[in-house]
Amino acid sequence: MGGVDSGPDDRPADLPAQAVADLIPIVRRVVGGRVGGHPAAEDLVQETLTRVLAASATIEPGMLEPYAIVTARNVVASMWRDEDRKRRNQHRVVDLSEPESPEARLVLDEEQGAMAQALARLTERERLTLLAHEVGGTDTRTLAEQAGSTAGAVAAQLNRTRARLRVEYLLAARQVEPPTDRCRPVLIALSSADQRRQREVGAAQHLLECETCAQLSEPLLERGQHRDGTLRIPITADPDIVAARTAVRSLASSLAFGPTELTVIATAVSEVCRNIVRFAGSGEVVVELLDSPRRGLQVVARDAGPGIDDVDAAMADGFSTYGGLGLGLPGVRRLMDEFAVASEPGHGTTVTMTKWERKDHG
Amino acid sequence: MNGGPALVSIMRQGSTLIASIHTALDDSELVRFEHDLVAQIGTHRSRGVIIDVAALDVIDSFAAHTLRRIAEMARLRGARTVVVGIQPEVAFAMVRLGMRPAAGGDHVTTALDLEEGLALLETAESGGPPGGAAGWSP
Repeated sequence: MGGVDSGPDDRPADLPAQAVADLIPIVRRVVGGRVGGHPAAEDLVQETLTRVLAASATIEPGMLEPYAIVTARNVVASMWRDEDRKRRNQHRVVDLSEPESPEARLVLDEEQGAMAQALARLTERERLTLLAHEVGGTDTRTLAEQAGSTAGAVAAQLNRTRARLRVEYLLAARQVEPPTDRCRPVLIALSSADQRRQREVGAAQHLLECETCAQLSEPLLERGQHRDGTLRIPITADPDIVAARTAVRSLASSLAFGPTELTVIATAVSEVCRNIVRFAGSGEVVVELLDSPRRGLQVVARDAGPGIDDVDAAMADGFSTYGGLGLGLPGVRRLMDEFAVASEPGHGTTVTMTKWERKDHG
Repeated sequence: MNGGPALVSIMRQGSTLIASIHTALDDSELVRFEHDLVAQIGTHRSRGVIIDVAALDVIDSFAAHTLRRIAEMARLRGARTVVVGIQPEVAFAMVRLGMRPAAGGDHVTTALDLEEGLALLETAESGGPPGGAAGWSP
Protein backbone atom coordinates (compact mmCIF):
# COMPACT_ATOMS: atom_id res chain seq x y z
CA MET A 1 0.00 0.00 0.00
CA GLY A 2 1.54 3.27 -1.07
CA GLY A 3 2.40 5.68 1.67
CA VAL A 4 1.59 9.35 1.77
CA ASP A 5 5.29 10.16 1.56
CA SER A 6 5.30 10.64 -2.16
CA GLY A 7 2.54 13.22 -1.91
CA PRO A 8 4.07 16.14 -0.05
CA ASP A 9 7.50 15.60 -1.64
CA ASP A 10 6.27 15.67 -5.20
CA ARG A 11 4.12 18.69 -4.75
CA PRO A 12 5.42 20.66 -1.82
CA ALA A 13 3.23 23.62 -2.65
CA ASP A 14 0.14 21.49 -2.53
CA LEU A 15 -1.83 22.68 0.46
CA PRO A 16 -4.05 19.60 0.95
CA ALA A 17 -1.02 17.36 1.10
CA GLN A 18 0.52 19.45 3.85
CA ALA A 19 -2.79 19.57 5.67
CA VAL A 20 -3.04 15.80 5.45
CA ALA A 21 0.50 15.41 6.74
CA ASP A 22 -0.52 17.54 9.71
CA LEU A 23 -3.15 14.94 10.52
CA ILE A 24 -0.58 12.24 11.21
CA PRO A 25 -0.51 12.69 15.01
CA ILE A 26 -4.25 12.61 15.42
CA VAL A 27 -4.66 9.64 13.10
CA ARG A 28 -1.93 7.80 14.99
CA ARG A 29 -3.78 8.49 18.19
CA VAL A 30 -7.09 7.23 16.83
CA VAL A 31 -5.56 4.09 15.37
CA GLY A 32 -3.36 3.50 18.41
CA GLY A 33 -6.36 3.85 20.68
CA ARG A 34 -8.06 1.02 18.84
CA VAL A 35 -5.39 -1.45 17.94
CA GLY A 36 -2.68 -0.59 20.49
CA GLY A 37 0.74 -1.86 19.55
CA HIS A 38 -0.57 -4.13 16.80
CA PRO A 39 2.12 -4.57 14.13
CA ALA A 40 -0.28 -3.28 11.52
CA ALA A 41 -0.87 0.02 13.32
CA GLU A 42 1.48 2.07 11.18
CA ASP A 43 0.06 0.53 8.00
CA LEU A 44 -3.38 1.55 9.12
CA VAL A 45 -2.23 5.11 9.73
CA GLN A 46 -0.73 5.26 6.25
CA GLU A 47 -3.81 3.71 4.70
CA THR A 48 -5.98 6.31 6.40
CA LEU A 49 -3.83 9.18 5.23
CA THR A 50 -3.85 7.85 1.68
CA ARG A 51 -7.63 7.74 1.68
CA VAL A 52 -7.92 11.19 3.19
CA LEU A 53 -5.49 12.57 0.66
CA ALA A 54 -7.36 10.97 -2.19
CA ALA A 55 -10.57 12.56 -1.00
CA SER A 56 -9.10 15.86 0.17
CA ALA A 57 -10.18 17.74 -2.93
CA THR A 58 -13.83 17.15 -2.06
CA ILE A 59 -13.58 17.85 1.66
CA GLU A 60 -14.38 21.25 3.00
CA PRO A 61 -11.40 22.90 4.65
CA GLY A 62 -12.54 22.71 8.26
CA MET A 63 -13.78 19.16 7.89
CA LEU A 64 -10.48 17.49 7.18
CA GLU A 65 -9.78 16.44 10.75
CA PRO A 66 -13.18 14.90 11.51
CA TYR A 67 -13.07 13.17 8.15
CA ALA A 68 -9.66 11.73 8.96
CA ILE A 69 -10.88 10.44 12.31
CA VAL A 70 -13.88 8.74 10.77
CA THR A 71 -11.73 7.28 8.02
CA ALA A 72 -9.25 5.98 10.56
CA ARG A 73 -12.06 4.23 12.44
CA ASN A 74 -13.37 2.70 9.25
CA VAL A 75 -9.96 1.49 8.23
CA VAL A 76 -9.44 -0.14 11.60
CA ALA A 77 -12.90 -1.68 11.53
CA SER A 78 -12.42 -3.07 8.05
CA MET A 79 -9.12 -4.57 9.08
CA TRP A 80 -10.85 -6.45 11.90
CA ARG A 81 -13.51 -7.49 9.46
CA ASP A 82 -10.93 -8.73 6.99
CA GLU A 83 -9.14 -10.66 9.68
CA ASP A 84 -12.42 -12.04 10.79
CA ARG A 85 -13.32 -13.10 7.33
CA LYS A 86 -9.94 -14.65 6.78
CA ARG A 87 -10.33 -16.50 10.00
CA ARG A 88 -13.69 -17.83 8.98
CA ASN A 89 -12.75 -18.79 5.47
CA GLN A 90 -9.44 -20.29 6.26
CA HIS A 91 -9.87 -24.00 6.83
CA ARG A 92 -8.35 -23.77 10.19
CA VAL A 93 -6.29 -26.70 11.26
CA VAL A 94 -7.11 -25.84 14.82
CA ASP A 95 -9.20 -23.27 16.58
CA LEU A 96 -6.94 -20.88 18.35
CA SER A 97 -7.96 -17.43 19.26
CA GLU A 98 -5.68 -14.85 17.75
CA PRO A 99 -2.83 -14.01 20.07
CA GLU A 100 -3.06 -10.39 20.98
CA SER A 101 -0.26 -9.95 23.46
CA PRO A 102 3.37 -11.04 23.76
CA GLU A 103 2.34 -13.47 26.49
CA ALA A 104 -0.16 -15.03 24.13
CA ARG A 105 2.59 -15.51 21.59
CA LEU A 106 4.65 -17.37 24.13
CA VAL A 107 1.70 -19.61 24.80
CA LEU A 108 1.45 -20.11 21.07
CA ASP A 109 4.90 -21.70 21.04
CA GLU A 110 3.72 -24.23 23.55
CA GLU A 111 0.65 -24.83 21.47
CA GLN A 112 2.74 -25.50 18.43
CA GLY A 113 4.39 -28.31 20.37
CA ALA A 114 0.98 -29.78 21.03
CA MET A 115 0.10 -29.39 17.37
CA ALA A 116 3.19 -31.29 16.30
CA GLN A 117 2.25 -34.05 18.69
CA ALA A 118 -1.29 -34.10 17.34
CA LEU A 119 -0.12 -34.25 13.75
CA ALA A 120 2.09 -37.18 14.63
CA ARG A 121 -0.96 -39.13 15.76
CA LEU A 122 -2.66 -38.94 12.38
CA THR A 123 -2.02 -41.65 9.84
CA GLU A 124 0.57 -40.99 7.19
CA ARG A 125 -2.06 -40.57 4.50
CA GLU A 126 -4.24 -38.26 6.56
CA ARG A 127 -1.27 -36.11 7.42
CA LEU A 128 -0.01 -35.84 3.85
CA THR A 129 -3.39 -34.96 2.44
CA LEU A 130 -4.07 -32.43 5.14
CA LEU A 131 -0.70 -30.74 4.80
CA ALA A 132 -0.90 -30.70 1.02
CA HIS A 133 -4.24 -28.91 1.30
CA GLU A 134 -3.67 -26.60 4.26
CA VAL A 135 -0.02 -25.79 3.87
CA GLY A 136 0.75 -26.56 0.24
CA GLY A 137 -2.52 -25.03 -0.89
CA THR A 138 -3.36 -27.92 -3.23
CA ASP A 139 -7.07 -27.81 -3.93
CA THR A 140 -9.34 -30.76 -3.33
CA ARG A 141 -9.84 -31.47 -7.02
CA THR A 142 -6.14 -31.90 -7.62
CA LEU A 143 -5.87 -34.03 -4.54
CA ALA A 144 -8.77 -36.13 -5.76
CA GLU A 145 -7.10 -36.68 -9.13
CA GLN A 146 -3.93 -37.79 -7.43
CA ALA A 147 -5.79 -40.20 -5.21
CA GLY A 148 -8.17 -41.40 -7.92
CA SER A 149 -11.12 -40.11 -5.93
CA THR A 150 -13.65 -37.31 -6.10
CA ALA A 151 -13.28 -33.81 -4.76
CA GLY A 152 -16.25 -34.32 -2.46
CA ALA A 153 -14.77 -37.45 -0.98
CA VAL A 154 -11.46 -35.72 -0.42
CA ALA A 155 -13.21 -32.78 1.26
CA ALA A 156 -15.12 -35.14 3.52
CA GLN A 157 -11.92 -36.96 4.33
CA LEU A 158 -10.26 -33.65 5.13
CA ASN A 159 -13.11 -32.72 7.43
CA ARG A 160 -12.75 -35.96 9.31
CA THR A 161 -9.01 -35.47 9.56
CA ARG A 162 -9.47 -31.96 10.90
CA ALA A 163 -11.96 -33.23 13.44
CA ARG A 164 -9.46 -35.83 14.59
CA LEU A 165 -6.67 -33.34 14.62
CA ARG A 166 -8.63 -30.99 16.85
CA VAL A 167 -9.21 -33.80 19.28
CA GLU A 168 -5.61 -34.97 19.25
CA TYR A 169 -4.44 -31.41 19.60
CA LEU A 170 -6.64 -30.84 22.64
CA LEU A 171 -5.45 -34.05 24.23
CA ALA A 172 -1.83 -33.10 23.62
CA ALA A 173 -2.25 -29.48 24.71
CA ARG A 174 -3.97 -30.44 27.94
CA GLN A 175 -1.74 -33.45 28.40
CA VAL A 176 -4.53 -35.83 29.15
CA GLU A 177 -5.03 -39.40 28.09
CA PRO A 178 -8.68 -40.39 27.52
CA PRO A 179 -9.72 -42.60 30.44
CA THR A 180 -11.92 -44.96 28.41
CA ASP A 181 -12.09 -46.50 24.97
CA ARG A 182 -15.28 -44.62 24.27
CA CYS A 183 -13.71 -41.20 24.77
CA ARG A 184 -11.94 -40.77 21.44
CA PRO A 185 -14.88 -41.74 19.20
CA VAL A 186 -17.13 -39.45 21.22
CA LEU A 187 -14.75 -36.52 21.07
CA ILE A 188 -14.21 -36.97 17.34
CA ALA A 189 -17.94 -37.12 16.74
CA LEU A 190 -18.34 -33.89 18.68
CA SER A 191 -15.44 -32.28 16.92
CA SER A 192 -16.87 -33.05 13.50
CA ALA A 193 -20.30 -31.80 14.60
CA ASP A 194 -21.73 -34.97 13.09
CA GLN A 195 -24.99 -35.45 14.91
CA ARG A 196 -25.73 -38.87 13.51
CA ARG A 197 -22.35 -40.14 14.55
CA GLN A 198 -22.81 -38.49 17.96
CA ARG A 199 -25.98 -40.47 18.45
CA GLU A 200 -24.33 -43.67 17.30
CA VAL A 201 -21.57 -43.38 19.86
CA GLY A 202 -23.90 -42.10 22.58
CA ALA A 203 -21.95 -38.87 22.89
CA ALA A 204 -24.38 -36.96 25.09
CA GLN A 205 -24.64 -39.78 27.57
CA HIS A 206 -20.89 -40.25 27.65
CA LEU A 207 -20.30 -36.57 28.40
CA LEU A 208 -22.43 -36.84 31.49
CA GLU A 209 -20.48 -39.84 32.70
CA CYS A 210 -16.95 -38.84 31.76
CA GLU A 211 -15.52 -35.82 33.49
CA THR A 212 -12.50 -35.66 31.19
CA CYS A 213 -14.59 -35.62 28.04
CA ALA A 214 -17.01 -33.13 29.54
CA GLN A 215 -14.15 -30.70 29.95
CA LEU A 216 -12.57 -31.44 26.60
CA SER A 217 -15.89 -31.12 24.84
CA GLU A 218 -16.28 -27.47 25.74
CA PRO A 219 -13.88 -26.05 23.16
CA LEU A 220 -15.01 -28.66 20.64
CA LEU A 221 -18.66 -27.79 21.03
CA GLU A 222 -18.10 -24.06 20.95
CA ARG A 223 -17.49 -24.34 17.25
CA GLY A 224 -20.94 -25.38 16.13
CA GLN A 225 -22.78 -24.18 19.18
CA HIS A 226 -24.59 -21.16 17.88
CA ARG A 227 -27.24 -22.89 15.87
CA ASP A 228 -30.65 -21.38 16.14
CA GLY A 229 -33.37 -23.48 17.56
CA THR A 230 -31.23 -25.64 19.79
CA LEU A 231 -30.87 -25.11 23.46
CA ARG A 232 -28.72 -26.98 25.93
CA ILE A 233 -29.38 -26.34 29.56
CA PRO A 234 -27.30 -27.95 32.29
CA ILE A 235 -29.40 -29.01 35.26
CA THR A 236 -27.71 -29.23 38.61
CA ALA A 237 -29.91 -27.52 41.16
CA ASP A 238 -33.40 -26.22 41.91
CA PRO A 239 -33.01 -22.85 40.19
CA ASP A 240 -32.05 -24.65 36.97
CA ILE A 241 -35.51 -26.17 36.85
CA VAL A 242 -37.11 -22.76 36.63
CA ALA A 243 -34.43 -21.54 34.23
CA ALA A 244 -35.01 -24.57 32.00
CA ARG A 245 -38.77 -24.28 31.82
CA THR A 246 -38.52 -20.53 31.20
CA ALA A 247 -35.97 -21.00 28.43
CA VAL A 248 -37.95 -23.81 26.82
CA ARG A 249 -41.10 -21.75 26.95
CA SER A 250 -39.42 -18.87 25.22
CA LEU A 251 -37.95 -21.12 22.54
CA ALA A 252 -41.32 -22.85 22.07
CA SER A 253 -43.04 -19.51 21.65
CA SER A 254 -41.28 -19.15 18.31
CA LEU A 255 -43.63 -21.88 17.07
CA ALA A 256 -47.37 -21.55 16.76
CA PHE A 257 -48.08 -22.77 20.27
CA GLY A 258 -50.85 -21.13 22.23
CA PRO A 259 -50.47 -20.08 25.87
CA THR A 260 -51.95 -23.34 27.09
CA GLU A 261 -49.53 -25.45 25.09
CA LEU A 262 -46.63 -23.31 26.26
CA THR A 263 -47.64 -23.85 29.87
CA VAL A 264 -48.15 -27.56 29.25
CA ILE A 265 -44.64 -27.83 27.80
CA ALA A 266 -43.17 -25.78 30.64
CA THR A 267 -44.91 -28.03 33.17
CA ALA A 268 -43.55 -31.16 31.52
CA VAL A 269 -40.04 -29.72 31.45
CA SER A 270 -40.35 -28.76 35.09
CA GLU A 271 -41.29 -32.31 36.02
CA VAL A 272 -38.50 -34.05 34.16
CA CYS A 273 -35.91 -31.55 35.38
CA ARG A 274 -36.98 -32.15 38.94
CA ASN A 275 -36.40 -35.87 38.48
CA ILE A 276 -32.89 -35.06 37.32
CA VAL A 277 -32.14 -32.89 40.35
CA ARG A 278 -33.76 -35.28 42.81
CA PHE A 279 -32.59 -38.62 41.57
CA ALA A 280 -29.45 -38.02 39.55
CA GLY A 281 -28.08 -34.80 41.00
CA SER A 282 -27.21 -33.39 37.63
CA GLY A 283 -27.92 -33.77 33.97
CA GLU A 284 -28.98 -31.69 31.04
CA VAL A 285 -31.92 -30.73 28.93
CA VAL A 286 -31.54 -30.33 25.19
CA VAL A 287 -34.34 -28.66 23.33
CA GLU A 288 -34.63 -28.69 19.59
CA LEU A 289 -37.08 -27.25 17.14
CA LEU A 290 -38.20 -29.89 14.66
CA ASP A 291 -39.22 -29.35 11.06
CA SER A 292 -40.36 -32.77 10.01
CA PRO A 293 -42.67 -34.56 9.78
CA ARG A 294 -44.05 -31.25 10.93
CA ARG A 295 -43.03 -28.42 13.13
CA GLY A 296 -42.61 -29.18 16.76
CA LEU A 297 -40.46 -29.04 19.81
CA GLN A 298 -38.41 -31.88 21.15
CA VAL A 299 -37.08 -31.98 24.66
CA VAL A 300 -34.46 -34.49 25.71
CA ALA A 301 -33.75 -34.69 29.43
CA ARG A 302 -30.75 -36.75 30.24
CA ASP A 303 -28.86 -37.74 33.33
CA ALA A 304 -26.20 -40.19 34.36
CA GLY A 305 -27.88 -41.04 37.62
CA PRO A 306 -28.86 -44.36 39.11
CA GLY A 307 -31.41 -45.05 36.39
CA ILE A 308 -34.84 -46.56 36.74
CA ASP A 309 -35.01 -50.23 37.64
CA ASP A 310 -38.40 -50.83 36.20
CA VAL A 311 -39.42 -48.37 33.54
CA ASP A 312 -42.78 -50.07 33.11
CA ALA A 313 -43.57 -49.61 36.77
CA ALA A 314 -42.53 -45.98 36.60
CA MET A 315 -44.85 -45.48 33.67
CA ALA A 316 -47.73 -47.38 35.25
CA ASP A 317 -50.52 -44.89 35.40
CA GLY A 318 -52.16 -44.63 38.77
CA PHE A 319 -53.32 -41.26 37.50
CA SER A 320 -52.22 -39.63 40.70
CA THR A 321 -48.81 -38.04 40.34
CA TYR A 322 -47.97 -39.30 43.78
CA GLY A 323 -48.80 -42.87 43.05
CA GLY A 324 -46.45 -45.28 41.35
CA LEU A 325 -42.80 -44.49 41.79
CA GLY A 326 -43.43 -40.82 42.33
CA LEU A 327 -41.57 -39.79 39.21
CA GLY A 328 -44.59 -38.13 37.71
CA LEU A 329 -43.77 -39.69 34.35
CA PRO A 330 -47.32 -40.84 33.50
CA GLY A 331 -48.48 -37.27 34.02
CA VAL A 332 -45.74 -35.91 31.81
CA ARG A 333 -46.67 -38.39 29.13
CA ARG A 334 -50.18 -37.02 29.16
CA LEU A 335 -48.87 -33.51 28.72
CA MET A 336 -46.78 -34.25 25.65
CA ASP A 337 -47.63 -35.72 22.24
CA GLU A 338 -44.77 -38.14 22.21
CA PHE A 339 -42.91 -39.51 25.12
CA ALA A 340 -40.22 -42.12 25.63
CA VAL A 341 -38.07 -43.15 28.54
CA ALA A 342 -34.83 -45.02 28.15
CA SER A 343 -33.09 -46.06 31.28
CA GLU A 344 -30.57 -48.55 32.40
CA PRO A 345 -29.82 -49.10 36.06
CA GLY A 346 -26.49 -47.48 36.81
CA HIS A 347 -26.35 -45.66 33.50
CA GLY A 348 -28.85 -42.91 33.85
CA THR A 349 -32.12 -42.01 32.28
CA THR A 350 -33.07 -40.26 29.09
CA VAL A 351 -36.54 -38.88 28.61
CA THR A 352 -37.39 -37.78 25.09
CA MET A 353 -40.61 -35.93 24.55
CA THR A 354 -42.15 -33.99 21.73
CA LYS A 355 -44.94 -31.54 21.26
CA TRP A 356 -46.14 -30.97 17.72
CA GLU A 357 -47.54 -27.76 16.42
CA ARG A 358 -51.26 -28.20 16.03
CA LYS A 359 -52.25 -28.47 12.38
CA ASP A 360 -55.11 -26.02 12.70
CA HIS A 361 -52.61 -23.30 13.53
CA GLY A 362 -51.45 -23.55 9.92
CA MET B 1 -34.15 -12.58 52.18
CA ASN B 2 -31.88 -12.75 49.19
CA GLY B 3 -31.14 -9.27 48.03
CA GLY B 4 -33.27 -8.98 44.90
CA PRO B 5 -36.88 -7.90 44.65
CA ALA B 6 -39.21 -9.83 46.92
CA LEU B 7 -40.33 -13.13 45.44
CA VAL B 8 -43.38 -13.24 47.65
CA SER B 9 -45.14 -10.88 49.98
CA ILE B 10 -47.22 -11.78 52.97
CA MET B 11 -49.62 -9.10 54.17
CA ARG B 12 -52.04 -9.10 57.02
CA GLN B 13 -55.58 -7.86 56.75
CA GLY B 14 -57.57 -8.34 59.89
CA SER B 15 -57.49 -11.99 60.74
CA THR B 16 -56.55 -12.93 57.20
CA LEU B 17 -53.08 -13.35 55.72
CA ILE B 18 -52.72 -12.54 52.06
CA ALA B 19 -49.68 -14.15 50.51
CA SER B 20 -48.84 -13.18 46.96
CA ILE B 21 -46.29 -14.98 44.87
CA HIS B 22 -44.72 -12.48 42.51
CA THR B 23 -42.74 -14.68 40.18
CA ALA B 24 -41.85 -18.24 39.24
CA LEU B 25 -40.46 -19.94 42.32
CA ASP B 26 -38.07 -22.84 42.37
CA ASP B 27 -38.51 -25.71 44.79
CA SER B 28 -36.36 -24.34 47.58
CA GLU B 29 -38.04 -20.97 47.31
CA LEU B 30 -41.42 -22.67 47.56
CA VAL B 31 -40.32 -24.50 50.66
CA ARG B 32 -39.06 -21.28 52.23
CA PHE B 33 -42.36 -19.64 51.37
CA GLU B 34 -44.18 -22.51 53.04
CA HIS B 35 -42.17 -22.10 56.24
CA ASP B 36 -42.58 -18.34 56.35
CA LEU B 37 -46.28 -18.53 55.78
CA VAL B 38 -46.97 -21.22 58.34
CA ALA B 39 -44.88 -19.33 60.90
CA GLN B 40 -46.82 -16.11 60.26
CA ILE B 41 -50.15 -17.83 60.73
CA GLY B 42 -49.08 -18.41 64.32
CA THR B 43 -47.59 -14.94 64.80
CA HIS B 44 -50.70 -13.17 63.60
CA ARG B 45 -53.21 -15.68 64.94
CA SER B 46 -54.76 -15.75 61.49
CA ARG B 47 -58.03 -17.47 60.80
CA GLY B 48 -57.76 -17.36 57.03
CA VAL B 49 -54.98 -17.51 54.45
CA ILE B 50 -55.16 -16.49 50.85
CA ILE B 51 -52.40 -17.55 48.50
CA ASP B 52 -52.36 -15.68 45.24
CA VAL B 53 -50.59 -17.81 42.63
CA ALA B 54 -51.50 -15.77 39.55
CA ALA B 55 -47.84 -15.07 38.85
CA LEU B 56 -46.72 -18.69 38.96
CA ASP B 57 -45.74 -19.74 35.44
CA VAL B 58 -46.57 -23.36 36.13
CA ILE B 59 -47.97 -25.33 38.99
CA ASP B 60 -46.21 -28.62 38.63
CA SER B 61 -46.41 -31.57 40.97
CA PHE B 62 -44.08 -30.01 43.51
CA ALA B 63 -45.81 -26.65 43.60
CA ALA B 64 -49.21 -28.31 43.87
CA HIS B 65 -47.94 -30.56 46.59
CA THR B 66 -46.52 -27.59 48.48
CA LEU B 67 -49.79 -25.67 48.27
CA ARG B 68 -51.64 -28.71 49.54
CA ARG B 69 -49.18 -29.08 52.41
CA ILE B 70 -49.52 -25.42 53.34
CA ALA B 71 -53.29 -25.73 53.39
CA GLU B 72 -53.10 -28.79 55.58
CA MET B 73 -50.66 -27.22 58.02
CA ALA B 74 -52.71 -24.04 58.14
CA ARG B 75 -55.77 -26.13 58.90
CA LEU B 76 -53.94 -27.78 61.76
CA ARG B 77 -53.02 -24.31 62.99
CA GLY B 78 -56.63 -23.22 62.91
CA ALA B 79 -56.68 -21.28 59.64
CA ARG B 80 -58.52 -21.87 56.45
CA THR B 81 -56.63 -21.57 53.13
CA VAL B 82 -57.90 -20.43 49.78
CA VAL B 83 -55.68 -20.56 46.71
CA VAL B 84 -56.61 -17.87 44.20
CA GLY B 85 -55.52 -16.83 40.75
CA ILE B 86 -54.75 -20.14 39.07
CA GLN B 87 -54.49 -19.20 35.42
CA PRO B 88 -56.61 -21.11 32.91
CA GLU B 89 -53.64 -22.62 31.07
CA VAL B 90 -52.02 -23.54 34.38
CA ALA B 91 -55.24 -25.24 35.43
CA PHE B 92 -55.33 -27.13 32.15
CA ALA B 93 -51.78 -28.38 32.61
CA MET B 94 -52.50 -29.38 36.21
CA VAL B 95 -55.42 -31.49 35.15
CA ARG B 96 -53.41 -33.12 32.38
CA LEU B 97 -50.58 -33.83 34.74
CA GLY B 98 -53.13 -35.60 36.89
CA MET B 99 -53.03 -33.72 40.13
CA ARG B 100 -55.95 -35.26 41.84
CA PRO B 101 -56.07 -35.27 45.59
CA ALA B 102 -53.77 -37.76 47.18
CA ALA B 103 -55.12 -40.71 49.13
CA GLY B 104 -56.23 -38.53 52.04
CA GLY B 105 -58.66 -36.68 49.81
CA ASP B 106 -57.73 -33.28 51.18
CA HIS B 107 -58.93 -30.73 48.68
CA VAL B 108 -57.44 -27.30 48.51
CA THR B 109 -60.10 -24.67 48.43
CA THR B 110 -59.73 -22.34 45.48
CA ALA B 111 -61.33 -19.17 44.24
CA LEU B 112 -61.07 -17.25 41.03
CA ASP B 113 -59.32 -14.20 42.40
CA LEU B 114 -58.46 -12.30 45.55
CA GLU B 115 -61.91 -10.75 45.89
CA GLU B 116 -63.68 -14.09 45.57
CA GLY B 117 -61.21 -15.60 47.98
CA LEU B 118 -61.87 -12.98 50.61
CA ALA B 119 -65.59 -13.37 50.17
CA LEU B 120 -65.24 -17.11 50.58
CA LEU B 121 -63.29 -16.72 53.80
CA GLU B 122 -65.82 -14.25 55.16
CA THR B 123 -68.72 -16.61 54.61
CA ALA B 124 -66.78 -19.43 56.13
CA GLU B 125 -65.83 -17.38 59.16
CA SER B 126 -69.27 -16.05 59.92
CA GLY B 127 -70.86 -19.38 59.21
CA GLY B 128 -68.77 -21.93 60.97
CA PRO B 129 -65.50 -23.16 62.36
CA PRO B 130 -62.37 -22.74 60.25
CA GLY B 131 -61.37 -25.59 58.03
CA GLY B 132 -64.80 -27.01 57.53
CA ALA B 133 -67.29 -25.67 55.04
CA ALA B 134 -69.78 -28.09 56.53
CA GLY B 135 -70.44 -25.64 59.33
CA TRP B 136 -72.62 -23.35 57.39
CA SER B 137 -75.11 -25.76 56.03
CA PRO B 138 -78.32 -25.57 58.03
